[in-house]
Amino acid sequence: MKVFALEIVTPSKLAFNAEVVSITVPGTLGEFQVLFNHAPIVSNLEVGKIKIQTQNGETLHFAISGGVIEVLKNKVVVLAQSLERSDEIDTDRARQAVERAKQRLEQKNQIDVARAEAALTRGLNRLKVSSLR
Amino acid sequence: MATLRDIRRRIKGVQNTEQITKAMKMVAAAKLRRAQENVISARPYARKISGLVNHLLTDELSGTNELLLTRQTKKVLVVVLTSDRGLCGAFNTNILKEAVRLIEEELIPQQLEYSLFCIGKKGFDFFRKRDYSITGNALGVFGHLKFTDALSISSEMISGYLKGDFDKVVVVYNEFKSVVRQEIVREQYLPISFDNGEKVKQSSTDYIFEPGQKEIIDSLLPKHLQSQMWRILLESNASEFGARMTAMDNASTNAKDLIRSLKITYNKARQAAITKEILEVVSGANASKSA
Repeated sequence: MKVFALEIVTPSKLAFNAEVVSITVPGTLGEFQVLFNHAPIVSNLEVGKIKIQTQNGETLHFAISGGVIEVLKNKVVVLAQSLERSDEIDTDRARQAVERAKQRLEQKNQIDVARAEAALTRGLNRLKVSSLR
Repeated sequence: MATLRDIRRRIKGVQNTEQITKAMKMVAAAKLRRAQENVISARPYARKISGLVNHLLTDELSGTNELLLTRQTKKVLVVVLTSDRGLCGAFNTNILKEAVRLIEEELIPQQLEYSLFCIGKKGFDFFRKRDYSITGNALGVFGHLKFTDALSISSEMISGYLKGDFDKVVVVYNEFKSVVRQEIVREQYLPISFDNGEKVKQSSTDYIFEPGQKEIIDSLLPKHLQSQMWRILLESNASEFGARMTAMDNASTNAKDLIRSLKITYNKARQAAITKEILEVVSGANASKSA
């Protein structure tokens, strides 16, 4: 299997740095997969899940809440707003966040609708990804 | 002349102070280490984002985003980063002096309006007492620094800038050079400029853009600003602990010196008292012998 270098960076740390076989990301125009020798691309990423196939055949799932991916000459950089591995997700916290967002949406508090909706999608995404192991 | 008891009391008091300053120094040192680690681990993201923006930004595109356009400046937002707490030497004084100088000697003579955004309680108190115009503040963020703080501060600035509340944002903060050295830096935050040494180089690679180059730039710029604000907050935080550590170290040394000189005075006074007593006993004995 041909591998390429993958770096995932979040504001607080270098979250992932290794050679991998493939990565699947939630692009704005739909999910896509990057393999060895992928053409140069820059894409915005949505809230969703990242799937990585490592060299030793493992599949890792991560929850991402938006970001950017840059692919250039078999070097892939993902700039993620936040990133959690599926088994690191705090499901209780995510569930609470979902509840809170739902409540806020019911109250129809005009100012915060966009924020509450974003929080809701993030929370639901975390819950969904945490069920993938 | 102080009595023996007074001096003893004084020594005890200074010793107590020394204990406190020593403890504070230790706490600051521990927190400084964590703050330093944070600064270092925030670097890759900031570097990657500004690198990417630099890479993708072509001349024609730089005219399309308002965050990049320099407009005629009428009102300037001055962002001042101080600490929430005192006892950190000249850390706050220096930064406030610089901010006042910027306002009084540069903005006002140029007939520019200004307003202040204070991050940290000390600066807020300082400017409020002196009746400067303050439009916003973020107090208590340094207690537990989170990326979301940087997020909310930068989004407040972006929306204010886009609304036209101000035409330029300047940040004054302490940059962390080393544990014993902080440097006051004045940085233009908005509009974004890439002239500080990073030359905009045109990319020759043909990227595929999803959804499009302009949309990507538009979404990258706010992220760039967030990561810059995050970096600034972390730098200031690390500088604060560095300054506090140095200040407390000095205070401990001073306390030690003071204790030493007080002990000498104390011993001199004790000796004098003993000599006086012996003299009294001897002269008393002589007097009774001759009687």
